[in-house]
Amino acid sequence: MNGKFEPKIVGYLCTWCSYTGADTAGISRIKYPGNLRAIRVPCSGRVSPELIMRTFDQGADGVLVLGCHIGECHYDNGNHRTAKRLPILKTLMEFTGLEPERLRLDWVSASEGERFSRIVTEFTQEVSALGPTKWQNHTESTGLRYVGSRSAEMSQPRVATFSSRFDQYVEKTEAIQEKARELLAKDQVNCVIGYEVGPRGRTRPAFIHHVDEVDRLVWNQDCSHNLATYLRQKLHPSQKSSSDEKRQRVAIVVKPCDSRAINVLLSENQFDREQVYVIGMTCEGIFNKEGASRQFASHHLPEKFSVQDRCVHCTERTPVLCDFLIGDPPDSSIIPESPGDDELEGILSLSPAERAAFWTEQFDRCIRCYACRQVCPLCNCPTCLYERDDSLWVGMGTGINEKRAFHLGRAYHLAGRCVGCNECERVCPMNIPISLLNRVLAKEMESLYDFRAGIALGPSPLLTVLRGVEG
Amino acid sequence: MSLISKEKLDGWLSAIAKEATLIAPREIGGVLLYRPVAHSNDIVFNFTRPEMSIKEWLFPATDRLMVIEKYRQQIRLTETLPNNRQVIFGVRPCDASGLKVLDTLFTDTDPVDLYYTKRRENTTLIGLACQEMGESCFCKSLGGELDDPRDVDIMLVEREGGYEVQVITEKGRDLLPSDWHDLDNWDERETERRVYPDFNSASSPAYLETQAWPPFFKDDYWEKLAERCLSCRICAYVCPTCRCFDIRDEVLPSGVGFDRFERIRCWDSCASEAYRRIAGGHNPRPLKGQRMRNRFFCKFYYYPEQYGPIACTGCGRCVDACPVNIDITEVLQHLVEVNS
Repeated sequence: MNGKFEPKIVGYLCTWCSYTGADTAGISRIKYPGNLRAIRVPCSGRVSPELIMRTFDQGADGVLVLGCHIGECHYDNGNHRTAKRLPILKTLMEFTGLEPERLRLDWVSASEGERFSRIVTEFTQEVSALGPTKWQNHTESTGLRYVGSRSAEMSQPRVATFSSRFDQYVEKTEAIQEKARELLAKDQVNCVIGYEVGPRGRTRPAFIHHVDEVDRLVWNQDCSHNLATYLRQKLHPSQKSSSDEKRQRVAIVVKPCDSRAINVLLSENQFDREQVYVIGMTCEGIFNKEGASRQFASHHLPEKFSVQDRCVHCTERTPVLCDFLIGDPPDSSIIPESPGDDELEGILSLSPAERAAFWTEQFDRCIRCYACRQVCPLCNCPTCLYERDDSLWVGMGTGINEKRAFHLGRAYHLAGRCVGCNECERVCPMNIPISLLNRVLAKEMESLYDFRAGIALGPSPLLTVLRGVEG
Repeated sequence: MSLISKEKLDGWLSAIAKEATLIAPREIGGVLLYRPVAHSNDIVFNFTRPEMSIKEWLFPATDRLMVIEKYRQQIRLTETLPNNRQVIFGVRPCDASGLKVLDTLFTDTDPVDLYYTKRRENTTLIGLACQEMGESCFCKSLGGELDDPRDVDIMLVEREGGYEVQVITEKGRDLLPSDWHDLDNWDERETERRVYPDFNSASSPAYLETQAWPPFFKDDYWEKLAERCLSCRICAYVCPTCRCFDIRDEVLPSGVGFDRFERIRCWDSCASEAYRRIAGGHNPRPLKGQRMRNRFFCKFYYYPEQYGPIACTGCGRCVDACPVNIDITEVLQHLVEVNS
């Protein structure tokens, strides 16, 4: 060893174009650095995000993905998917501490030996200049304090002036009960999914099957749960349902953010629109966890209270879809001016090494309880990729690599689908600011495709092929 | 009464940290956890209970059991037994009695779990009595007490002007500095053995006696209760007595012609769908209600039947951590009411 840093570079080369391009370079005796470990794949579209994350986890200093030029894919549109996926993955990995130069996507055709050599040479030089990757290393604490929405003393208190009184909740509660009674009595639905208050004064999901249970339903400032999570299991019972059984139909109480999740589920054909009767609630924000229930119990609301972070960033105060609306669209003056996403900006302003350290610290606390995944209305694979017995993507241990791969993978799978209900962050027992990962991708989706998940029916641009403007 | 000042306690803890791994309640990213500390300054003394129990230091979330190496035709297995000496400070009585529950399975029943037992031998517990019950604590209903010293090695109780020290075991005595015997107030009499009232025998019992459980096996209450369950694993992972695990062999970085693997065990939870799945894909417990029933039957029927103690210490962690407010006290109360 002469002390010069030789980066380990892994290249995923499409067999039809780029791998053949590498051959062309070899046959034409064009030189390129020996740092590249070429791995032949059938198509650049086969390079899943897990593959790239795990390559970095196992010590690669740089990853190069090369495919056919757009329009020349042997599988018609495999590289369209790559072209959409990679920038998203790159955003996510940059956000969690990878230098952007370490991951590169490019196109090389079979005849472009020269181009292949140039790309590999350039890439190797760039990565050499960066030095060894810090991705795997647990670096020292940044001292940066982001503690999520739960700890009021750390983040800026979000205070909204709230004009309405307790009566409003009583009125809305009565309206929900009345509607539920009507739907159940006329046998229009099998079940009404709403909220109830448990014996400890904590609000929780409730499933009402009979008219005489309707009185349990409530509406208050603690109705945080996104009930759309339960739709799939209610409409698709996992056990063999006999074909003569009546088609399931449920009513569901939704806030504006929850209603967006229903749009995403409908766009993904998880159930039919007629199967769901949506009782939409106008929403003025949900309280922060602490103390909210007790304030409710005392039948008196303070003039000012603190709402959850997501509610401050929320732009919909009326559900995007519903069959029956309860409440008047709120007066816009009571919605605080959105202060911009300063937590997100805070992380984005850090250097890659600082971001890596910050996220390592966060993920390190994870206990892999999977509550974030289970509570998500859109994490709906029957068996999670990261939990399959035959999956070797992620081990089942609680090492930092496994935990990071799980969290990044989870966020990636929600890109263009996450509706920002932030339930994942609320349920996390370890207070990991998971929603930041979703938020950075939502921001990216908005800037790349001008797309916000669930605002309207229709597939996410990530699931479709490139259109003219997107090329 | 043997009373020591806060300064003396700080000095002692810092001295322990130099000789062994000192694990104490510490704020990490807005969450209170038992984590190694280098100095007593990092320790949080005023708390209800940390988010996770001390279980994770005796039965870690991921534990390497052995390393498997293969070179040509030779295979070598290396057992990886832990031998690190650790002292846990700030142990609440509910967590300590949780270890007593785990002992009956891991240490007192054949086959002995060497990994747990070895850690247990190398661990000294310094208890810290609770000042008051937390909002969701119910240890008293299960025969515990705020300053119950039975299952720790040394018990500290905060008093005016310092901490009262009770030495409970020989292991605890060994940990104390010898010069404390010179203190004016030092009194090494054995702590009075108190009688702990069994709250369950009171007129309104807090939970069903073991023999009363079987009739509830075929109750549709479980399916109703589980309707809102998300099948996450928080309740099992924060529980001081849940002890299910899964074992798998995973690949380690290897060389040319030289393969390395590790056998690890990781926490598992009966709430997850995959927990009970068997070869061929059949799942005898496919419904959430069946899994929920298992959780409660395990704690109050299966475990006491097989090993003796009830597998719940009333710490209340699951009550607070459950994202959908499935509340063990509400369940127990319901069963008691239906039964009577």
